[in-house]
Formats: sequence, C-alpha cells, structure tokens
Amino acid sequence: MTDAVAAFEQGLERCAAEYPAAFERAEGEHALRAANARFAGPSGELTLLMKRMPELPGDRRRDLGQRANKLKNEIQEAFNARLSGLAARAREQELSGPHLDVSLPGRGTPAGRLHPLTRVKHELLDVFQAMGFDIADGPEVDLYEHNFDRLGFPPDHPATDMQDTFFVRLSDEEKAAAKSKRPIVLRTHTSTVQVREMMRRKPPLAVVSAGATFRRDDDATHSPMFMQIEGFMVDEGVSFANLKGVLTHFLGRVFGPEVPVRFRPSYFPFVEPGGEVDIGCMICRRWDPKVKADACRVCKNTGFVEILGCGMIHPVVFEHVGYDPERYTGFAFGMGVDRIAMSRYGVPHLNMLYGNDPRFLTQL
Amino acid sequence: MLVSHAWLQELTGLSLDVDDVAKKLTSAGIEVEAIHRFGEGLDKVVVAEVKASNPHPSRDKLKLVTVFDGAAEHEIVCGAPNVPAPGRRVVLAQLGAKLPNGVEIAERALGGVKSLGMLCGETELGVGADDSGLLIIDEELHGAALPGAPIADALGLRDRVYELSLTPNRPDCLGHVGVARELCALLGKTFALPKPAATPRAQSGAWAEPSEQLFPLSLPGTPAQGAPLAKTFRVDITAPDRCPRYGAALVDGVTIKPSPFAVRYRLHVLGQRAINNVVDVTNLVLLLWGHPIHGFDADHVRGSRIEVRLARAGERMKTLDDVERALTADDLLICDGEGPVALAGVMGGAGSQIEPSTTRVLIECAYFEPRTVRRTSKRLGMHTDSSHRFERGVDPSAVRHVLADAAARIAALGGGVVRADALDVVGKAVAAAPIALRKERIALVLGMPIADTEIERILGALGCVVAPAHAGYSVTPPLHRPDLTREIDLIEELGRLTGYDRLPTVRPAIRASEEGTPARITLVRRLREAAASAGLCEAVNYAFLAPADLERARAKPTAVVIQNPMTEARCVMRTSLLPGLGQCLREAQNTQQKTFALFEVARVFGPPQKDQAITELPHESHQLALLLWGQRPSWYREDESYDFYDAKSVVQSIVQSLSGHVPSTVVDAALLEEEPALHPKRSARITLGDSAIGVLGELHPDVVSAMELSGRPVFASIDVARLETALLALGRPKAHALPRFPSATRDVAVVVAEDIPAGDVVAALLEAAGPNAERVALFDIYGGDPVPAGHKSLALHVVYRGHSATLTDKEVDAAHAAAQKAAEARFSASLRGRTEKPK
Repeated sequence: MTDAVAAFEQGLERCAAEYPAAFERAEGEHALRAANARFAGPSGELTLLMKRMPELPGDRRRDLGQRANKLKNEIQEAFNARLSGLAARAREQELSGPHLDVSLPGRGTPAGRLHPLTRVKHELLDVFQAMGFDIADGPEVDLYEHNFDRLGFPPDHPATDMQDTFFVRLSDEEKAAAKSKRPIVLRTHTSTVQVREMMRRKPPLAVVSAGATFRRDDDATHSPMFMQIEGFMVDEGVSFANLKGVLTHFLGRVFGPEVPVRFRPSYFPFVEPGGEVDIGCMICRRWDPKVKADACRVCKNTGFVEILGCGMIHPVVFEHVGYDPERYTGFAFGMGVDRIAMSRYGVPHLNMLYGNDPRFLTQL
Repeated sequence: MLVSHAWLQELTGLSLDVDDVAKKLTSAGIEVEAIHRFGEGLDKVVVAEVKASNPHPSRDKLKLVTVFDGAAEHEIVCGAPNVPAPGRRVVLAQLGAKLPNGVEIAERALGGVKSLGMLCGETELGVGADDSGLLIIDEELHGAALPGAPIADALGLRDRVYELSLTPNRPDCLGHVGVARELCALLGKTFALPKPAATPRAQSGAWAEPSEQLFPLSLPGTPAQGAPLAKTFRVDITAPDRCPRYGAALVDGVTIKPSPFAVRYRLHVLGQRAINNVVDVTNLVLLLWGHPIHGFDADHVRGSRIEVRLARAGERMKTLDDVERALTADDLLICDGEGPVALAGVMGGAGSQIEPSTTRVLIECAYFEPRTVRRTSKRLGMHTDSSHRFERGVDPSAVRHVLADAAARIAALGGGVVRADALDVVGKAVAAAPIALRKERIALVLGMPIADTEIERILGALGCVVAPAHAGYSVTPPLHRPDLTREIDLIEELGRLTGYDRLPTVRPAIRASEEGTPARITLVRRLREAAASAGLCEAVNYAFLAPADLERARAKPTAVVIQNPMTEARCVMRTSLLPGLGQCLREAQNTQQKTFALFEVARVFGPPQKDQAITELPHESHQLALLLWGQRPSWYREDESYDFYDAKSVVQSIVQSLSGHVPSTVVDAALLEEEPALHPKRSARITLGDSAIGVLGELHPDVVSAMELSGRPVFASIDVARLETALLALGRPKAHALPRFPSATRDVAVVVAEDIPAGDVVAALLEAAGPNAERVALFDIYGGDPVPAGHKSLALHVVYRGHSATLTDKEVDAAHAAAQKAAEARFSASLRGRTEKPK
C-alpha cells in the first residue's frame, strides 16, 4: 500500500518539479498547450495520476487528493499566466515589430469614374434640384419647329445663323412611311425641352434639363456635339430680379460665393430682356484683390468669362405654347457643360473630353 | 463690326475714353471683343521734305534723295519708283526708328553709299495696303505735316478700333452713326445725325409721299447743273413688297482716282482696302450709316432705266466676282433696260461696275425687304457686307440722307457735279406702329419700377417718339430699330440702358410641381453611378458616325441620316454603342494600354415607332453598354484577362446595386441573329425576372478583326426601358426574418459531361436536397486527370438549415444523400471522392 502512496507522492512531486520549467521552455502557444497537455491533458501525467487515486489507501486518499487538486490548480494557473504572458509578448512584438507593407496596392476592383461632363452635369443639376426645379428630358433629334419656330426664331432670320444646324432625314423607306414632311434637326440647344415641357404641362413650372446638343462647328473651341444645361421657370409675377436671384445663387454654389457675377444684355430670340452672365475668371482670378494676376489667355485679361445665356421668356414663346403672356412671366437660361468641365478639371484640349482615352478618364 | 474711336469722337462731338467706351458698350449688350491700336510704334518716323534726287553712282534702281527733316538735311538711299519732285513731302524713318513691321533702321551702306534712314511706303508704316512705292503726303496736308513732325501727329494716325461682336437684332450698330447714337444714349448726351448740309431730309420715321418722288439734291459747293434726273433715268419697282423704297442720284463728270490719304487710312483701320475714290465712298458711307449703297457706271446702265423686279425662273446673271449665277423666281434683281445689273442687296453685276474710265456715277440707295435678301444670299452662299446689313434690316427712312451724303462725297472726291434732283421711289410705305408701354408691366418684368423721366430719356435717346398714354406711354420706335415692335422690346431697352447690374436680385419662391422628375431620368443617373462603382470609366462618344462603323460592328443600319454632315465620318446617327466604345478600345490598344473597362449610357436611334407622339421623329432609346478587355486588375500578381464572367459580374452588380434584384445570363438561340456582333458560343441574353433586358458576350472574332481590335473584348448592353419595365414588374425586394437555427454544410463533387451547365447542377441539387436546403454554392471546377475526357468535376457546398429546429446530423445526411442520388440520375454524374462534412 505504501508503494502506491510513495509512487503517487513521487508522481506529484515530479509534476510539481517539472511543469514550471516545461512551461517556461514553451515559446509559443502551441508548445505551451503541448506542455500543458503533458501534465494536465486527458492523458497527461497528473491526469493519469489522479485516475489512480482509488488505489490509494483510504486514510491517505483525502490529503493526497487535496494535494493533487491543488497541484492541478497551480498548473492551470501557471498555464493561464504563461499563456497570457506569451500573448502579451507576441502582441508586444507585433506592435514593436516591422510595419505592414502599406505600399502594396489595394485588393479588389478599383472604382471607376463618371465622365467629367457627367459629374459636372450632376453637380449643376443638383443645385437646381435643391432649389425646387424638376429635371426633364427631351429627344436629341427633334422637329425644326421645336428647335426654332416655337422659340420665336423669325423665319429667314440671321438669328438662326447663331446656331448652324444639322438637318436630318430618315432613310428612304422610313421617309416613305412617315406621313408628314416637317423638317427634322439635331437639336442645337436644349431649349427644345423648354418648348416641349411647356406644351405638355401648365404653370407653375421650374424645370431644368441637360443633354447632348449639336451644331456644325468643329475647331479648337467647338465640338460638333456638346453638352448643355437649360432651365426655366414660369409662374405669375416672375421677374428679371428672380432670374438674377436664381442664377446668382446657382453660380455661388457652383463656383464659390466669392466669385463675382456680372449680368449684361445680349440677344437670343426666345428671351427678352436677354442677357449673358459672366463670372470672374477662375484661371487668373484678377478680380480678387489678393491675387497678382499675370496675362491670361482665358479671359484675355478682362477678368471675366462668359458662362451662360439667359433672359425673360419671350411672350411669343408663351403664345406658341398656349400660355397667356399677360398672366405668366418666366425666365430661362442655358449654359455649356463642356467649358465648365474643362475649367473645373483643367482639361487642356476640348478633344480630350470626347476622346475617351482611359488614361484621361482615370486622371480625374 | 469694326468701329473707329476717332470717327465716334467726330460723330458725337465728345472726347471719349477708350476703355470707358468699351465698358459702356459691353455692359449695354454691344460687346467689345477686342481693341486694336493704330498709329503706334512710329517713334522717329517723321515728315521730311524732298530737297533733291540724284542717281545712285552704281545702282540703276536706286536713287540718292536729299531730304530735310526739320533739323537737317540727310542723304537717303531709296529704291522706290515714285520719288517725288523737290518740295513734296514724304515719310522718313530716322536712324533708330523701329517700324511696326519689325524693321529697325540703322545706318547702312547700299551700293557703297551710306543711307541715313529710310523713306517709307504705306505697308512699311502699317497705314495702308499700297506697296507700290513711297507714301507721298497730300499737299492739302502740308499745313500740319511740317518737316520733322512726327508722322502719327502729322497724318492723324492715332486711332483705336473697337471690334464689336454684334447680335443679329442690332443692325443699327452696323454703322458708326448707330454706335455713336447708342453711345450718346448710354452717356446721357444728345446725339444729332451728321448733316450733308443743305439737303432736305425726310423726317426720321416718316416716309415721303409718292408725290414727293422727286426731291432736290442741291449740295454745298457742287452747283446743281444739267437736266433733272427724273427726265434722264426712270426707276420702276415691280416688286414693291420686296423693295419698298429705291433712291437714286447721279453724279456727272467724275474722275476716278485714288482717294486722299485720310479716306484711305480710315478704310484701312476699318479693315477695308482702298480701291478708288468712288468705290471708297460707297464703302465709307456703308461704314458710316450702316446702309449699303451701290455705284453703277451710268453709261453702262442700258436704256436709262432701272427696274426692280423678281428674277424669272431660269434667268442667269454674272455678278461682280465673275461668277455666273442661276436665279430663281424668289431672287430680287436690279435691272436696266436690257437685263440684270445687280442682285438686289447682295452684289452688283459684272458689266456696270465702276471702272477707271467711269465718268458718270449712278448711286443706288434702297431698302430691300430683309427676308428676300436673306434667302438669296443664303441660297447662293453669298454673304457680303451688303447682304449682312440688308438681311438684318437697314433704316428705310435713311434713304434720302444717305443718298445725299454719298453724292456729296463722290462729287467732292471725284470732282463731279451732282444732278439737281434725285429719285426716291416709294413702292410701299413702311411705318413703325406705336407701342403701348405700361409702367406696371415694366416693374413686373424688371422687378423694379423705372422713373418716368428715365423712361422718357432712355427711349428718346434711342430715337423713339414717346407720348403719355393710358397707364404709361405710347411709343413710336424709330425705323433704324426694326427690333422694337412689342412692349417687351421697350422694356428690354429700359433694363438694358438702366444696366442689368442695377436691377434687383431676388430669389423667388419656387412652387413644387405636380409631376416631379420622371423616374427614367433618375434611373439613368443611378445606372451611370452604379456602373462607375462597379469599376468602369464612363465614355461620352459622338452620337453620329459613319455607316461603315455600324457595318463593322454588325449593328443595325441606321434610319437617321444627317443631310449636311461636316464629314462623312459622322453622317448618320448610331444604332448601337458598340462602334463608339470599340473605337475607344482601338485607340487604347494602339497606345499600348493594357487594360480597358469603359461604359457609356447614351441614346441609340431607330426608325419611328407607332406609339410615338410625333410620328416622324426617330425612336430614341437609352442604352447602357460596356466593353471590357485586357488585364483584369489583381493583387500584385501576373494579371489575368477580363472575360465573360467579369462582364457578367459587372452587369449583375450594376443592376443589383440599383434594385436589389440580380439578373441572369441565359443562352438563347435567337441571340445569334439578333446580336451577330457577339461570339456564337460565348454570349448570352441578360434576363431579369421574366424579361430580357440585354445581351452580354465576347465579341465575335470576325467583328474583332473588322473593328481592327485584338484579343477577346467582352461587350454587354442593357436597354434602359426594358430594365425599367422589368424592375417595375419585380417590385422592390422584400426583407425576410433572419434564420434562428444554425446551418449545416455538406460538400459534394460531381463529374458531369462538359456541356452541362453548372447552373443546372446547382438547381437540381437544390431541388433534390429538399425543403431544408438553403443554398448550393459551387466552389471548384476541375478538368483533366483523373476526370475522364469530355467531363468536368464540380465541387459544391450544400447548406442545410431547419426552419423550426436545429437539424440533426442524421437529417442532414439523409437529405444530402437524396440530393446526390438525384444528381447522379439526372446528369449521369459520377460522384468523386466521398461525401464529407467540411472541417
């Protein structure tokens, strides 16, 4: 019987003697767990020893049992302590170790880009939408009538020269099928949408529209297809002061409230009084007293560049769409998106806008 | 329109500041685009008097000219053929002068003789176009042009020329008189028309009665002589609607010669070439009054008769520029007793023009109906200074004083005698109707009232007759302002001359509309944003292209043709977005780019459709198209190429991000015919719910070659209208409660014939695995040893989950065994490896 006691006691003593060193030698979690298993695992030395407790004489079972349990707890605590020590060391090493190579590229598909024209278009439309304008749309190929006559372009008038027009015909078989022979054009401005919306709807109206327009012009500063934004408002009592209010607010939101805005008279057949709006040149900023401006190609040293055309909707337009010009007044405005996009993103050549070179598109 | 500052000062009698004039005009809508400077850069260029002229010792063509420059005599070597006699004065560029053409004058030897300066001609000085010899100062100018006087002062060369960008509603500003009048109105000064002295003028705005057709044209310094014109020449207007008024005057005994320097120089600064005294006068009068006139050699006006009539169909005439013109019955002609002598308002005819031998000049000053001139000039492609003004509308009431002025000037410069009378034939009276102008309306439109005194001042300064009337004024506009016909035109003038910057700025309250922004517009915008988020860059291509571009891309032939294209490369409207994107890809490949992922959302054009509101317009439909090619971006590894599945993923993520619904790709036999641009074996239809919304696939290898591309580009397109309909049909996706019980996953590997779509296997497994199978996911496809030839091995996860309790292993295994068995039976599949729970 004493053999069993002696063996048990030796076993306990050996375990007690060896586990601290074994734990100490374990340099990682895995090794530590293995070391722990050697003593306290399902077939560990202490576990096996404790399974043999029934073999102990009854008078010793209690105190040896307590010693075994105490040792087991000690090992458990030592294990936990060592484990957290190792974890702390590992964290310490990671925190003080080499840096992650953050220069490696990000993983996954890089985001694409909206075309600069689209981005500018969205930005401008957003400002008007926030003011309460609806967005509308119209066809790019439209009746001559919508593009000119209903906007009050007098027949055989040089005003049509301001917008050199592409005329369209349907291919022969389509032409044969079409009943009417009204002339068709590629719209030269988005003002067609103004006519169409006014014919379709009744005041009050505040509408803005953006899209492709076409003129027979192709040089360094003109593209035969270009983007325009057009807007108009019709209600009772709308005045030129309101036109100035809306456009001044709009330009302030888009270009910054500090940029000067200048209204001056101009002529478009479908508005009267008609005007053009200049804003302070964003390239030389010579209007800013803090800036010492050099010679500027963009504004020819005037400090201003033309940004949009506008005016009070001509009564003749109201007559053409069936509104009472005595009751309603309104204003309209239109601007090219291309030039705003070019100045906004510093695009050096107009043809880059329509060249769609991915190397250009991914720059912005 | 070029406008001389000096002339404006003469006309207004004011001393004007150049920048102030430019600012005032621009802010009034008469935009000054540029200001050109004349008479500058002429330091050390002075008047010199010729004292002697001797032959050069060694050179035949050179002379040694001794001149006196006010301080000393100098010997100048000169090669000009027209060295004048001693006593005449010329222009000397002294040593150290730098001429406007860049030449610097230094002492240099010509043929061994030192020249102490250079005698100059017009072109060297930049004061004219005559390069035939020296500029010899007119003797009339000797009073101011003393030897040694700086040439710019002596000849009055200093001027500024405003380059105006005029809008087509302001024909009055196409002459200096109109600009001067406008300027006076802006400055609050009184303007008076320049007077050709003793000539009685028709009142502005009023027309002479037909009985007044004859009016005396006695001009100062040119005693009227000879037979009355009316007895010599007869003028008949047979198309009075087209030519409401025609005036003619005759100057006899004219000598054709160069104009004096002052006239030539004024024409020069205004961009005109001096020709001879008579032609110069017609140009000068046009630039002064903005009213084109025409000079005929009266001896070549056959039958002593002028008839203004419409051309006969098939009639032809040769114009001044020596071009034979075919006319139509819409063209207005000036004819003599035998045939056409001018295309009315556009250009004179060959044969009756002023020649060096001309002695009798018949001056025409007429008012032609603007649309007539416009149509003729447009149809014949003849845009002239004359047609430019007539088509915008000249002042019909100006006929008499313009005629008188022209006659006086021709007589003065040509030494002729003006006939005692002239003709002013009125075919049809043109009068301006009075316009009612309401003060209340002014305030409503401009947003502020204008004071009565200002209304009267502004409109009066523009030439209107303003009379008080009920609620405001009755305003009769002047005939030089054909743009003023309605109340709103007058309100604009009030706003314009008040200054837009002085009008108030008030943001209006905008009432919300019933309708709002249409869903389609929002959808198109979200599509673009989704496509960009999916990793594509947006392209914006021209909507027009060449028919061959469509052919190469196997797109439908176009129904929409541009009648007047600028280039054959852009002469029809596109029916597909592929040609445009394909061209972008070609350029990317040609510039050694390795990857390409572009999309475009734009319209394509087809034949009209029956349900259209306007039946003759082409049908426009929005498309989203994308083209992928080249290296797929990956993480610092050798890149792989974009393929079908990349495009599919992009299409799915685009549609999913805007709707929550995921489109599928299915093989459809009809696709081959419908989309011949796509690879027959590597393409699919894109479906969403029950609807086909687009196509997706590699480009057909033949299309790749035809479009001069390389590799395997993948194209997809979605029809926005169909997408919109499909999304409407599907409605919004619905949310479900999250599962409460854990899932259990089993894997299976099945070997099936190569041509069996994985999707079919997935669907079959899902169905056979019973109601607790939640999803089946493919995680590997493998071909080659040990999988038999013509087969592939698919490895799949099947995920099971109980709806009301956690499934037991036994339940899962039973369901999984059933699924496997069904797959085996359905696809003659063999199972590879053993069924196992994933670790």
